[in-house]
Amino acid sequence: MRTKIQFAIDFTFYALKGGIKFYTWMLFLCFLAFLAMFGIYEQFTKGLIVTAMTDQVSWGLYESNFIFLVGVAAAAVTVVFPSYIYQHKHLKSVVILGEMLAITAVIMVFLFIFLHMGRPDRAWHMFPVIGIFNFPGSMLQWDTVVLNGYLGLNLMCAFYYLYKKYTGQPLNERFYMTFIYISIVWALSIHTVTAFLMNTMPSRPMWFHTMIPIKFISTAFAAGPAFIIVAFLIIKNNTTLNIADEAIALLAKVVVWCLGIALFLTMSEIVTELYHGTEHSYSLKYLMIGKNGLSRLVPWFWASLLLNVTAFLLLLNMDFRKDYKKLRIACLMVFIGIWIEKGLGFVLPGFIPTPIGEFSEYTPNLTEIINSLGVWAMGLMMFTLMAKGGIGVLLGEVKHPAVVGKGADEHLSD
Amino acid sequence: MRNIKLSRNIFYALLALLMITEIGYSQDAQPAQDEELVKDCYESREDYGYVERRDIEPALPNVICSQTTSRVLWWGDPYDGTIPLGDMPLEADYSHEEAVVTPREKQLKIFMPCTTCHNGKTVPVPKNKEPRLIQFHQDIVPNALQLMHGKGSIWCLDCHSMTNRDKLISFRAEEISLNQPQKLCGKCHGEVYRDWRDGIHGKRIGSWTKGGKKRWWVCTECHNPHTVDANIFLPIKPEPAPALPKGMKSADHEHKEYGHQ
Amino acid sequence: MADTNSKIPDQPGEKDNGTNRRDFLKETGLSVAALTGAATLLTGSQEAEARVTWAEWFQKSYRLMTNEEQKDAIARLEERHSQEFGKKVTVDGSPAMKDVLFGYALNIKKCIGCRTCVHACVKENNQSRYNPELQWIRVIKMEKGEFLAANMDKGYPKDYGIEVGGNAYENAGVTLEGEHYYQPETVPEKDYFYFPIQCMQCEKPPCVKVCPVRSTYREPDGIVVIDYNWCIGCRMCISACPYWARRSNWGEPNLPAEEMNPKTHYLGNRPRMNGATEKCTFCLQRVRNGRYPACVEACPVGARKFGNLLDPDSEVRKILARKGVFRLKAELNTYPKFFYFID
Repeated sequence: MRTKIQFAIDFTFYALKGGIKFYTWMLFLCFLAFLAMFGIYEQFTKGLIVTAMTDQVSWGLYESNFIFLVGVAAAAVTVVFPSYIYQHKHLKSVVILGEMLAITAVIMVFLFIFLHMGRPDRAWHMFPVIGIFNFPGSMLQWDTVVLNGYLGLNLMCAFYYLYKKYTGQPLNERFYMTFIYISIVWALSIHTVTAFLMNTMPSRPMWFHTMIPIKFISTAFAAGPAFIIVAFLIIKNNTTLNIADEAIALLAKVVVWCLGIALFLTMSEIVTELYHGTEHSYSLKYLMIGKNGLSRLVPWFWASLLLNVTAFLLLLNMDFRKDYKKLRIACLMVFIGIWIEKGLGFVLPGFIPTPIGEFSEYTPNLTEIINSLGVWAMGLMMFTLMAKGGIGVLLGEVKHPAVVGKGADEHLSD
Repeated sequence: MRNIKLSRNIFYALLALLMITEIGYSQDAQPAQDEELVKDCYESREDYGYVERRDIEPALPNVICSQTTSRVLWWGDPYDGTIPLGDMPLEADYSHEEAVVTPREKQLKIFMPCTTCHNGKTVPVPKNKEPRLIQFHQDIVPNALQLMHGKGSIWCLDCHSMTNRDKLISFRAEEISLNQPQKLCGKCHGEVYRDWRDGIHGKRIGSWTKGGKKRWWVCTECHNPHTVDANIFLPIKPEPAPALPKGMKSADHEHKEYGHQ
Repeated sequence: MADTNSKIPDQPGEKDNGTNRRDFLKETGLSVAALTGAATLLTGSQEAEARVTWAEWFQKSYRLMTNEEQKDAIARLEERHSQEFGKKVTVDGSPAMKDVLFGYALNIKKCIGCRTCVHACVKENNQSRYNPELQWIRVIKMEKGEFLAANMDKGYPKDYGIEVGGNAYENAGVTLEGEHYYQPETVPEKDYFYFPIQCMQCEKPPCVKVCPVRSTYREPDGIVVIDYNWCIGCRMCISACPYWARRSNWGEPNLPAEEMNPKTHYLGNRPRMNGATEKCTFCLQRVRNGRYPACVEACPVGARKFGNLLDPDSEVRKILARKGVFRLKAELNTYPKFFYFID
């Protein structure tokens, strides 16, 4: 127990120490989080009326971020899977960072859900035993199960690994690998179930489509690794942790092919919906060209398509991928493009028109933007700290006093 | 150093954002309340069947009327001021005791019974039912030769009793109370009458239960028999449209022509 | 745990001179509210409100309460609302009647789009009047459509394998091209018909299926109800409803005391709170006591019909037997108990 407490203390202290760049970054995030506190206070005292959501468009920016972040969480598997199934040793050495991203993303998901709820104080009604757990009927409860499970699995895998590194003990392979395998399958399940949450609603023709789960996964596996690449490049520039080029190359490959599949699915959707143009295509038409002068989402759709297609074409070029400056830009394009596609390009148009044909427009207002930025800031803060502590352990800078003397490289080799 | 400058600028930008949030969220003002409650209301026909709002119990009005159209929206007591509906020519599934109507004849008393003038002396009893132009009652029937009912096949005296103007008359010369016009109307409009009798056509309020007490609306409470050829139901003013969803300035997009130039 | 907690209002010094109890409850209530970030719970400072808030927060789902607990919950609400609205408010808890399955039929040929039902519903069911304005019935104006010789061959582009000629394309009938915010001088207008939509009280309601906490469920008389106190405001049901029948209280409802209808039902028209979802219940508080729903009574043209689907002599059953009837979006297999008919 004492070792564990020692680990927690060492980990935290290492994570919190840094240079001017680090503190500026943290202060900036703190500021955003502080702003959100104000927005959240407004929302929790006055109700969701301070947001731009209406009965017509009853899910907004929060739900959009939620959908996107579940994808990011699931995308950690693009690091875990090659590491353990293909024994990709370069990725394996930094697999922790993928898991940290998963943990962060899931926690952000919970924060967004909390913001999304009309009565967050009644959240306890959802818990088994003290509340009513409508399982297996409610997809939302399935989502609760898989997200909590995924959070648990990743917390356990990541910190078990780090703790063992810290103490210099070997991993219990059977124990560890069992959970790694479970978490790989589980990662797919979280985004699948999140897709089911939406595509099991015949009331919303745009969502009611068997293509949605695979499209969610393919877009997630483009946006997630894109973020991881950017994070890796930042870590590479700012720490002494060696992230091999092969690891980044593999992730870039994942990004480009998953993006390719996502674009193919987008094309299939457009062709299927527009060929005959039934009433089911109204949402997509509204998204692409607007409706009788209502067109707030149109620029977002085309921007997202442009970003994704351009990034895809650029990333097809091997030389482009090897130039990290360019790669970083392309990855950011993918990340932003897919964020738009999943939120503004999928969650929102599902509500326009309403099932009885009313067209209306929704633009998130400042409260929603501030709150969302705040959650992103909290998430980034959490990721920075956890990744930093993790890197400390990987580098051997955080280790139990008993194992001082052993080289850091030795740890990395198992 | 540059970092600090940048973060300071961002700080100011965000601070500005913070302030705008308060303004950005605008509350709809409470709709202005009319000082005077609309008290003269109508039930189904705007030119007919007025109800005056009053309290039948403390805090329980007999009716709640729309403030914009003076139409009755809600009945506190559905049976207020009703009398039994009486027999029907063809029996139906209704409980005689529990079927009530608002008497129409009482309106005659309020204004003036027809027989005040049509008493055989002031206005003589016509010799026959031949349609002819009449000077009076142009407010009801502008042109008596073109009665807007039956497309020329019927005329005033086919329904109104020649000898007793306070009553209607069937083609078998039975006098029919103005409270029960269905006995007359049903003679021609058989199918509608059957539906009305079964509660499918027309309006009833009160209890939905089988044999439960209901106030029935009779034919003339909704239809104006003198103008049905023009309008089966006289157009009325609609209640206000719902509020536009937040973020919408107008509903122009609902018109097909809009945005298609 | 809810068993014990639901009795909390009775515990601390029930027989004492109220002040101690009140302070205690206020403080604890406040700390709970602060803990859960729900300062909304305590907007007023009135005694009943503070006390009831505390107990309400811990009460369990209405359906799972014992009769005793249901009575407590109802008494709490009556006290709270009577104080809040300054008149005697009754909260009915009467259960479904035996051998009754409520059904509704609406004659779309008769409907003139006057929205009397919409506003009668608001008066009866204590909806928030403004900010947010909630209405449970939406009437859509639809074009009857016309085929004009002048429109011939205008609808489609030439070529692309499309046969040109022999069309005067225009949307008509029940389509998604209706108008929701029409406001003419008088209704009905020529060349249009009107289509009111409200909760269909489906036999297979998608909203009930998706509710994570079963705060919405179907009663034995077929009415889909919501326990407003159990709703967490996730709005899954709003998304899942194919009829757009559900509304959310986006903020604290604005219900003027003088307009408040004091005859309420726990599962029907009792005043709602911020964050809860609501919808048409066929006026549960009326129909369980034998009265027609408010919209049925309000309709000036008698287009709305209501009755017991299990009684072959009821108006609704006669309509089903005799008229041309359809259910809206029947292809979704939700089995609405709200029928549209044409005579």
